[in-house]
Amino acid sequence: MGESRSQAAAPELLHYRPWRGAFRPPAASVWPIARVALMSLFQKRMFWIIYVLGLLIFLLFFFGQYLLSWAQTQAGETEVQMGGWGRMNPRHLIQLFRGLLKLDGGAQTYYNFFSYQGYMVMIVLALAGSILIGNDLRFGSLPFYLSKPLARWHYLLGKGLAVAVFINLMTTLPALLLYVQWGLLESWDYFYERFDLLVGILGYGIVLTVTLTLLLLATASWLRRTVPLVMMWTTLFFFCRLLASALVDGLQFSPLWKLIDLWNDVSLIGGLCLNVQWSERRLGYQPPWGDAALVLGGVSLLCLIYLVRRIRAVEIVK
Amino acid sequence: MPDLLGSPDSGRGDREVGVRGAGRGVKESLTASLPLPSATPALLAPHPLPHAPLLLCQRVSKWYGPVIGVNQVTLELRSGITGLVGANGAGKSTLLRLITGCLRPDLGHIQVHGHDAWSTAARRHVGYCPETDAFYEEMSGRQFVESMARLCGYPRREARKRTEAALERVGMAGRAERCLRGYSKGMRQRIKLAQALLHDPELLVLDEPLSGIDPVGRCEFLHLFRDLAARGKCLLISSHELEELEKLTDHIAIMAHGRIAAVGTVAQIRDRLDHHPLRIRIDVKRGPQHTQGPEQRRLAAALLKLRDVVGVELLDPPPDESVGPVVVRARNPQRFFQELTRLVLEEWYEIARLETLDDSTEAVLGYLLRGRSA
Amino acid sequence: MGPITANDNQAMIALRHLSHWYGPFQALRDVSFQLAPGRIGLLGPNGAGKSTLLKILLGLLPPSSGGGRVLGHALGEDSAALRRAIGYMPEADALIPGLRGAEYVALAGELYGMPRREAQRRAHEVLTYLELEEARYRRLEEYSTGMKQRLKLAQALVHDPPVLLLDEPTSGLDPAGRDAMLRLLLTLGREHGKAMLLSTHLLGDVERVCDTVLILHQGQLLLQGGVAELCRRRHDRYRLQIQGEATAFCEELRLEGVRILHDNGRGELRVAVPPNWVTRAFFALADNHHVLLRGIQPDDEDLEELFHRVLNEEGRHGRESESGGGA
Repeated sequence: MGESRSQAAAPELLHYRPWRGAFRPPAASVWPIARVALMSLFQKRMFWIIYVLGLLIFLLFFFGQYLLSWAQTQAGETEVQMGGWGRMNPRHLIQLFRGLLKLDGGAQTYYNFFSYQGYMVMIVLALAGSILIGNDLRFGSLPFYLSKPLARWHYLLGKGLAVAVFINLMTTLPALLLYVQWGLLESWDYFYERFDLLVGILGYGIVLTVTLTLLLLATASWLRRTVPLVMMWTTLFFFCRLLASALVDGLQFSPLWKLIDLWNDVSLIGGLCLNVQWSERRLGYQPPWGDAALVLGGVSLLCLIYLVRRIRAVEIVK
Repeated sequence: MPDLLGSPDSGRGDREVGVRGAGRGVKESLTASLPLPSATPALLAPHPLPHAPLLLCQRVSKWYGPVIGVNQVTLELRSGITGLVGANGAGKSTLLRLITGCLRPDLGHIQVHGHDAWSTAARRHVGYCPETDAFYEEMSGRQFVESMARLCGYPRREARKRTEAALERVGMAGRAERCLRGYSKGMRQRIKLAQALLHDPELLVLDEPLSGIDPVGRCEFLHLFRDLAARGKCLLISSHELEELEKLTDHIAIMAHGRIAAVGTVAQIRDRLDHHPLRIRIDVKRGPQHTQGPEQRRLAAALLKLRDVVGVELLDPPPDESVGPVVVRARNPQRFFQELTRLVLEEWYEIARLETLDDSTEAVLGYLLRGRSA
Repeated sequence: MGPITANDNQAMIALRHLSHWYGPFQALRDVSFQLAPGRIGLLGPNGAGKSTLLKILLGLLPPSSGGGRVLGHALGEDSAALRRAIGYMPEADALIPGLRGAEYVALAGELYGMPRREAQRRAHEVLTYLELEEARYRRLEEYSTGMKQRLKLAQALVHDPPVLLLDEPTSGLDPAGRDAMLRLLLTLGREHGKAMLLSTHLLGDVERVCDTVLILHQGQLLLQGGVAELCRRRHDRYRLQIQGEATAFCEELRLEGVRILHDNGRGELRVAVPPNWVTRAFFALADNHHVLLRGIQPDDEDLEELFHRVLNEEGRHGRESESGGGA
């Protein structure tokens, strides 16, 4: 019976054709994994809404810098009346604004930009985690990837790359744009004199990327769904932060307690990269940066170990 | 069981007899196996008329928004096993949900044991094993079934007793302690079946109970279904695994595009498909003196002379057997087989094999839904 | 048998004393076999170790002890090259929501190591071949069960592997879909020389597609061989389909020395006949008792009976050895 059926199926117009060609090494599959992950993220409207919000912060900095430097060129030498405060030179006024708003092209500008943008990134990541990784575990796509000639860490690398591209798209890239803008607005010498800032920006970007990527991959493959993931991230970054500041600033515990605030740890190391000058008072309440680096390294390592175990475990259980 | 079901009409008769005869007997056997709580309405409810069907769907339609799921379906069941077959998306699951009172028909009405299917009274008579498996994953199998029993309204001790009995029946008694999360698909099916059997319902509605079960488990399930049917229960089973269904019953309902395309025994339905003459393979043994197959040709020629034969085809003989296969296409199977018998007896053929190629449920379904040749 | 892979005379799969433990639980016990390229059915009840065996063959799990070769690649050595030679169709849906059909298959091609453009071209070709032409640009969420199964087959075929590993390829399909899938597999095996290992619960699938069968039970290989050779030929058994009142007919059969082994109550009898029986006698008896004889088939053992026989023998054997050990 089977015989006659297969013969009935045979006269098809389009036959199966063999394919012969050279295969590329497994490492070549890292980018396709990342590309597909990013694609599924870009398809979500939610992503674009939050990205635009994140862009608003960038635009604030961008036009802030531009307007102040434009105003400086426009302002004359004449002093202006400042209501009941007395007369003032507009140039000094603008300098004052710049100092207050930290829009002076110094380390503090980029540091502030990173922290504001970081909040947006965290929100988006919490939402994106399930799309990027959680879904693979939830819908059983993992066998699809792992049955291909690639190792576990190719898969992790691909997914990590997607998260990294996305984080840098929101933080490092705009920060670099601000850096270039300031150089163009002020003078070309800025690029030579403050080359350390460029290195600092990249350094902060790397710290942020590595930590957040690993943390996201680990939490997303653990929790899988969006809502628990958002709750987890809120706990990690919001409640830990509240708790840390309550313990240290309020109850006068040792500043080492601040280490549980991961976001603070990232900022500390980032600030170190940018070489931000802290005020004495603020420094008193902060743990030493070495400890912060140790905590971040430890957390990243734990996440990595968990990931490697996790990706393997699912495959065995199925 | 007597061989009544061979002819189309006796099948129906047998089913009715089953109900009439079992009117009391079922309940006695039921009380013997599982002590009923005093509140069980099966005993309190007025006895339905002996002729009233256990399940009656009258012109039932159901929409999901603009999509029609079930389109004016009429169906009557009394007892025994009925298979519900059809393609994916034909409306089988919707119909089963309507029958179990999970959905309410937009048009028409459904009665179970004389009660409207949407009412709680009807649900006491219906056991439902849904297709989807959504459990409380952190419960153990036993806890799950027991809480279902409690939901049926049984007191704690009774619920426990019934849980054990149901688990025993589905072969899960020894391994129901584990967390549901770790169950295989077959074990999940067994647990679903156990909760449907808890209150010993008269009508069991099973949606794809055989999917995902290994061959050993499948054998046990078929056994259990046969046993339930023998105790007078009425089973409505939807399945894609037609070979398995064929082993259980030949009474099927075919659904297509939200409608019931045909109800009856497979043979009945097949005989109604006049456009598709039956294909029958006949292997005739060669005489020992012949190396080629004149017997095969002689038979083919004789068959062609019969009234109902539409065509005859000679097949190549299988390599290691001394037979000559012929495939006949014939209308009016009843008369054809009579004439074939006469032919065999009068002209001394030795038939090694006589097989209808396209009267299986699968072939009937194929003809009915697409008119394709199997 | 049709044209087969390049390494014709080499075995497709050769395993030697392969065992695997998950902690204290032994999933595979000393499995050894050699298989020539062909269509192989892998059967066994739940927990028999089928999935574990598939994982090991894919190079995803290293065997705890023993070893083997798949298409000349030693297990556990170059698993990337091994997986490149295999198309794996997983049992789970394994889809990536948000992608379109063609993108999904192209991604699979890229992951196998095909250049991007080649993968995309080939994806369209394979999808057309599998009759998913119209669905290529639809999102995977909109696919029906039957389409999903064919899509999973497409992603396993995209790089034209010599071997396919198929895990429950017909689960969830309706009869027409299942028929189409089995026909596809048979054509791929017969006409395009694909070797395949088919793991399934449905014995009918194996019967229709496979020429060789492996039966696993509790991690042990119970049986291996050609389906046709393994099933017992029983020349004295027949299955009869009759229509009409059969009591007298059955009585008469008994008087003639025919044993009625089983009567399913719906007109099908399984009988054992005495030596030198001629089938014409069935017709004569049926004619005498006004019963219509609609079918006579030699009742050789089918795969299902074989499966249960082997499992029962094993069960009896196991019990005997256990009780022997206790005493």
